[in-house]
Amino acid sequence: MNKKTLTLTLVLTMGTAVSAQGILGGHVTGNVQLDAQMSRADSTIGAEEVPERLLLNARADVLYQNGDFSAGLRFEMYQNPLLGFDPQYKGQGLAHYFVKYSGQRLTLTAGHFYEQFGSGMILRTYEDRYLGLDNALFGASLQYRPVDGITIKALAGRQRLYWDYGAGLVRGIDAEVAINSIIPALADSKLRATLGAGFVSKYEDDESLPAADPAFRLNLPLNVGAGAFRLNLGYGGWNLQAEYAHKGQDPSEMNHYIYRQGSALLLDLSYSQRGFSANLQAKRIDNMGFKSVRTQSGEMLFINYLPAITKNHTYAFLTMYPYATQVNGEQGLQGNVMYKFKKGTLLGGKYGTDLSLNSSVVTALDTTSLGGAGTDGYSVETFSRGGLLYGDVSVEVAKKLSKTVKLTATYAYQVFNPVVEGHSPDLYHNNVLIADLSWRINKKHSLRFEAEWMGSDSKYDPEQGHDDRRAGDWIMGLVEWNIGTHWFLSASDQYAYNDGTGNYYNLSVGYTRGATRAQLGYGKQREGLLCIGGVCRQVPASNGLTFSLTTSF
Amino acid sequence: MKKTIIALAAALAFAACDKISTDQYVLFAGSVAQWADGTPVATPVQRAHVDKYTGPKCSNCPTADVTLEAALATHGDRMTLIAVNHPSVQGLPYPNEPDLRTSHGTAWVQFYGITGIPAALLNRNTASTFSGSMPSISGAIADAIAQQPTLALEVEAAAEGSSVTIDVNMQFLADIAEPLTLTLALTEDSLAYKQLLPNASVNPTYVHNHMLRDVVTDTWGTPVEAQGRSGECRKATFRYAPSNPDIKLENCHIVALVSYKESRQIVNCAECHISH
Repeated sequence: MNKKTLTLTLVLTMGTAVSAQGILGGHVTGNVQLDAQMSRADSTIGAEEVPERLLLNARADVLYQNGDFSAGLRFEMYQNPLLGFDPQYKGQGLAHYFVKYSGQRLTLTAGHFYEQFGSGMILRTYEDRYLGLDNALFGASLQYRPVDGITIKALAGRQRLYWDYGAGLVRGIDAEVAINSIIPALADSKLRATLGAGFVSKYEDDESLPAADPAFRLNLPLNVGAGAFRLNLGYGGWNLQAEYAHKGQDPSEMNHYIYRQGSALLLDLSYSQRGFSANLQAKRIDNMGFKSVRTQSGEMLFINYLPAITKNHTYAFLTMYPYATQVNGEQGLQGNVMYKFKKGTLLGGKYGTDLSLNSSVVTALDTTSLGGAGTDGYSVETFSRGGLLYGDVSVEVAKKLSKTVKLTATYAYQVFNPVVEGHSPDLYHNNVLIADLSWRINKKHSLRFEAEWMGSDSKYDPEQGHDDRRAGDWIMGLVEWNIGTHWFLSASDQYAYNDGTGNYYNLSVGYTRGATRAQLGYGKQREGLLCIGGVCRQVPASNGLTFSLTTSF
Repeated sequence: MKKTIIALAAALAFAACDKISTDQYVLFAGSVAQWADGTPVATPVQRAHVDKYTGPKCSNCPTADVTLEAALATHGDRMTLIAVNHPSVQGLPYPNEPDLRTSHGTAWVQFYGITGIPAALLNRNTASTFSGSMPSISGAIADAIAQQPTLALEVEAAAEGSSVTIDVNMQFLADIAEPLTLTLALTEDSLAYKQLLPNASVNPTYVHNHMLRDVVTDTWGTPVEAQGRSGECRKATFRYAPSNPDIKLENCHIVALVSYKESRQIVNCAECHISH
């Protein structure tokens, strides 16, 4: 569709839709987001000149609902894409649209849609605007519930690839059975069980791809299948989730065109009661990257999603070295315990104390090479482990000191293997201390102070090949001032005081009114990875103004 | 609806996952030469090459075979021979017998204008053509191999499974300014099929030797990557797998021909049996 036509369609549709509320008997909702960035060259942080001066990402989602019927569309504009977003997004147009019927037993969708089977290890299409990731399927999906407790899904389509679609055709089917719902005798049982199974296949045309020996080409499987079984058991405060996935031969750019079959196992055992919860996760991935186009690199066109089992940290220094899931092979464990010391106890004090402990470790698989492209790739020693990729231990204590003051203190120890980001495999060992103090001055004003320190044995020394600008010892301070219900001011600075480089200051002011929020910022952004759920994008350094506006209706 | 779901599930489960056996992960994609510096050739001699044009329904061809086998006995490894099945009626196979014609041989026949068989071409020089019983060909071969070589050539071939690795080593013994090409031909011996004899009878198990079965390179060869200066040594390695399953590699030879690109006349040649 012509881009101008699409723009016009959006404007007309939005205008019509908003004015149609109540007239057609339906309901229109939506949201708009705009992000702008101006950045100039700064050799001290490695920021490069932006020829366009101004970069702009914008999007508008509109959803119309009327009884069992709904329809939606999303307009996107990248003129040009913000730093860190793939330049192939450049452009504007209608990126997502669908119509949907949701009956009591049957749901039908045509157009763009997102879907997930189980934990996503064989299929998860989703969108993350902050990662610049959208692997929506464009096709049709069906969800059928023949009886209460049984859900069957079927779908087919091609995945979004920037402003086009990947060449691979994705087909899938999934069934989930809630045992307690279909067996009346178990309806009131304390033991709750859900079983599920899914199968996904992708089809791609043949093509000529060279084997390691240039006289030979790869004999490519045109249909690649992946199946998974899952189980969810619950009893009282206990819950167990288990899923095993298997993928057929899938030589691809990701796995360097080997024919080894893939597998993945995910276990999650948790227990919770009032004031206490614990959780243990285990994961093993072996050659489980699954894309709808075999030659596609990067994060686009993933059919599946392999969840991370490291803690999703939020503080700046704890996110400086995020862990990116290694789809070609990794294994790991994560444990998490949360306990609330009650009010009036020695450790609980007057207001109670929250304690959170977390630890995770991820290693590579212990592999032996069997060759390159056009071979089985490698063999794996099942009950052994390869090199350490990531490990961390963190302790967080949150305590209300008075009616108006709350302190959260965190200590974390991280071991990070930069080889996962393409750097030399010299482990970084980091100690991180964080104090986060919130002070509600009165009903209109509140302040938040954050102090962070990170000591690391990593060094920034480009002449010796150590070019990671995150390296070294860092300190950080942040002050946030919330003024009334509308305004806030924030100032922060991150400074590498030893063995590192960079002084990253940021100032921002924001205004919120109803569902609308605007924020203007100025400062420096360190280059690095932005990861969400183990999926990452590279963010280059920048120095300049940022502006964002979000609203919904 | 239930039937639709079941049908979808069955279709996906049984038809949507390909399994490729280990020995089929890679397919032969055509011969590829990797050129590198070579080494001096152990026996830097001039050889002569003969293309023999023949056919199973050519009654005089066995007579030419006798002449050329005698020449081979005389000149030994100083002579190479390729038997090309002519695309005319005389070259057609008898019923239920394999067709020994090749597209490469047909191209050579058309280029050199070989209209009648038996015929032979020495060093692909159209001034040195022979026909009938070819009584003078052995003498012409002797004259050719008596020349001072300008380029020495040697070839080795080793089979591994269904594929063959071919190493060609050449040494420039004089400056050669003209571009050269290297042609590698696969010939097969001991093919026992019908052959029309001079007495008009048919020998059902006539042994055809030196039969052209395939050309590893392009029909007219691949460019020789060399400066062409005296003393220069160049080596090319090819990987090859015959597409015709009837070819028995244990009975095959590789004939290497270095030719002038423009005139297509042969500079020198060499032959080897494919080792296992």
